[in-house]
Amino acid sequence: MVTDAEEVSPTASSSELEQEDDDDDCYLSDQEDDALEESVLQVLEDERDEDCHWSSTSVITKESLLAAQREDLRKVMELLGLREHHARTLLIHYRWDVERIFELLDQKGRDRLFSEAGIPLQPANNAGSPSSTEVTCNVCYDDVPLSDASKMDCGHNYCNECWTGYFIVKINEGQSRRIKCMAPKCNTICDEAIVRKLVNAKRPDIAERFERFLLESYIEDNDTVKWCPSTPHCGNAIRVKGDIHCEVECTCGRQFCFNCSSEAHSPCSCVMWELWIKKCRDESETVNWITVNTKPCPKCHKPVEKNGGCNLVASGYAVVLLAEITHGQSKKTEQARRNLYRYMHYHNRYKAHTDSLKQEAKLKGDIQGKISISENKDSKIKDYSWVINGLNRLFRSRRVLSYSYPFAFYMFGDEIFKDEMTSDERELKQNLFEDQQQQLEFNVERLSGFLERDFQNFSDDEVMDTMKHVINLSNVVDRLCKQMYQCIENDLLYPLRTPHNIAPYKSKGLDRASELNVCWDSSEQGLQPIKYSQDEHKSQPGLSGSSIFGKRQLGSSSNNNGRPHKRERNDAHGGAALFDLNVPAEVADKI
Amino acid sequence: MVDVSRVQKELTECNRDREVSGVSIALHDGSTISHLTGTIAGPQGTPYEGGTFVIDIRLPGGYPFEPPKMQFITKVWHPNISSQNGAICLDILKDQWSPALTLKTALLSLQALLSAPAPDDPQDAVVAQQYLRDYSTFSATARYWTEAFAKSSSTGMEEKVQKLVEMGFPEDMVRSVLKSVNGDENMALEKLCSG
Repeated sequence: MVTDAEEVSPTASSSELEQEDDDDDCYLSDQEDDALEESVLQVLEDERDEDCHWSSTSVITKESLLAAQREDLRKVMELLGLREHHARTLLIHYRWDVERIFELLDQKGRDRLFSEAGIPLQPANNAGSPSSTEVTCNVCYDDVPLSDASKMDCGHNYCNECWTGYFIVKINEGQSRRIKCMAPKCNTICDEAIVRKLVNAKRPDIAERFERFLLESYIEDNDTVKWCPSTPHCGNAIRVKGDIHCEVECTCGRQFCFNCSSEAHSPCSCVMWELWIKKCRDESETVNWITVNTKPCPKCHKPVEKNGGCNLVASGYAVVLLAEITHGQSKKTEQARRNLYRYMHYHNRYKAHTDSLKQEAKLKGDIQGKISISENKDSKIKDYSWVINGLNRLFRSRRVLSYSYPFAFYMFGDEIFKDEMTSDERELKQNLFEDQQQQLEFNVERLSGFLERDFQNFSDDEVMDTMKHVINLSNVVDRLCKQMYQCIENDLLYPLRTPHNIAPYKSKGLDRASELNVCWDSSEQGLQPIKYSQDEHKSQPGLSGSSIFGKRQLGSSSNNNGRPHKRERNDAHGGAALFDLNVPAEVADKI
Repeated sequence: MVDVSRVQKELTECNRDREVSGVSIALHDGSTISHLTGTIAGPQGTPYEGGTFVIDIRLPGGYPFEPPKMQFITKVWHPNISSQNGAICLDILKDQWSPALTLKTALLSLQALLSAPAPDDPQDAVVAQQYLRDYSTFSATARYWTEAFAKSSSTGMEEKVQKLVEMGFPEDMVRSVLKSVNGDENMALEKLCSG
């Protein structure tokens, strides 16, 4: 990777243009260092803002599932002096929350912690009946030789056949992770090694299921790991360290909200989103009907139905008359009406932006076409990466904008926060927010306008002009998004009595979960790759201590002039390309 | 499949001390070992005293690793037993079952449940509410139900009387003897013959 670093043009302006085509532009060359100091400071400040939402994500595949839990298992085994299966039992019981285990260890003490999780306090003494060679199994009432019986850690001894039958029933019931001892009221969890051995001898298929269930406990019984919600399922799970209110992209390409597993919906909170989806489903018929069958009254702007007659009448007397009739309606229907129009107001804007988003693929295709025409033109401008970057900025900000409407609907409505604000306060905040939202909307549309220009037919000067506008507007839009999020988080959500969390704004698009890459052999190194994958950009104290990392993150951010930050794909096989993560693979390849 | 040898051992074991324990188990119809009928005596000092309660027992294929399915055939007025269909709410018949428990221990637990209802975890909400709000009415209803449904003396009493009278015993004697043996026709016959 370092080899062709010299090829990067050292001047700041051209490096801006050529950023896309080189792997190593994230390294700061010495010349750049001083010139960009100021922007580095700016970046550091930005990072501090994002710190409170620190979270990093990694993908856990079938293959890395075992490695992923190794770390937690090892920590618990080492610090509590436990055997692996006891450590696993403890972790499963406490939902793989290592910190909580140690917290509870302090509060409850070792004995209670263990017995509640089903770990016997002391190893069973084997002095039971050494003289006799037979033991009566209390389940089948047969006398069996000692060698055909198994004793659990709690000291309860039953014949192997009964154990096996019991295990198979339990595994089939789906209780693999917490198979209790057969003795009545015994809370001890069975030794997984014995389960494995006995079940495998009789039903290898079920033993396999047991193994899988045990492994998948790390996903199923763990608040920080979730299955990717893709259908058909990609088989991956995502692990989040830090704030679980975040949005993530799986390696399969599926983007989702980690907290609620539905589509990414920030700045809408999960609660709002759930309500909104439901409302959209319930109201869609009504709204459709109103949109199709009514026209707003010219006097009061209420939708009025025209039930027959020619279209000319619609703007004439009859409709006005109709409107007048409806004006004098009871308060209750009036309120219902107001609610519906309020919903429609937000829904229409939400829908307009989501519909634009649906055109993403088409727009991208069109622009790709224009770029390739331009690139083959006889012109000195060869780099059109600014178009793609601007396009990505457009998509990202449109997404933010579209979800900001359901957010506003609930933020300033009565559904969730009825008693949280006085009406004056609400009005004030709504004005503040809508001002920002409008600014953002205005600039997003402008950016969209510039991007849709037919720049392939432009002269060089016109192209340069468009480029300047696109880069500028991308910057402005990014900043406005950031500001709107600040307003949402600090001014709107923070003062609420009940905490309401949203996924933070990501200037560079959704976090793409990095591949989990864990060393197996050395115990200490086992941790390293995970830390590494926590990404260069997250300035968690103690993690990004290495100077090369520090330099890299500053470099990549400061070079970036209104462009999305680039992130390194954590590719173990080398040849890792740096590219904007929101660019789909096929586009990235063409760049 | 059901562990036949274990169930047979259980039956022998349970019925050996049926007089003492007050619980017994019999095959339901003799053809299959997975369908049984249990009886428990209503515990003394409760509204169920004097009643004999019949319980339908079905053994699932995984028995004893899965709990037996039990249901009251006799109608009972009890917070943890459905007054409609006799379904039972008892932890050891659900997640607290252990293969080391037996049908006998389960029946004994049911007997204990009759003595100590758990209205906070009800099966029959109506009964449980009555138990908590108006114990005397509850108690009276439970006693009445025991009288009406759990005493063989009350079920088909007239038939039994008539049958024994037709055998040649005087009616007043038949009635008093039947009453003394709690309506058990065979025991009454024995008594009448011997005495």
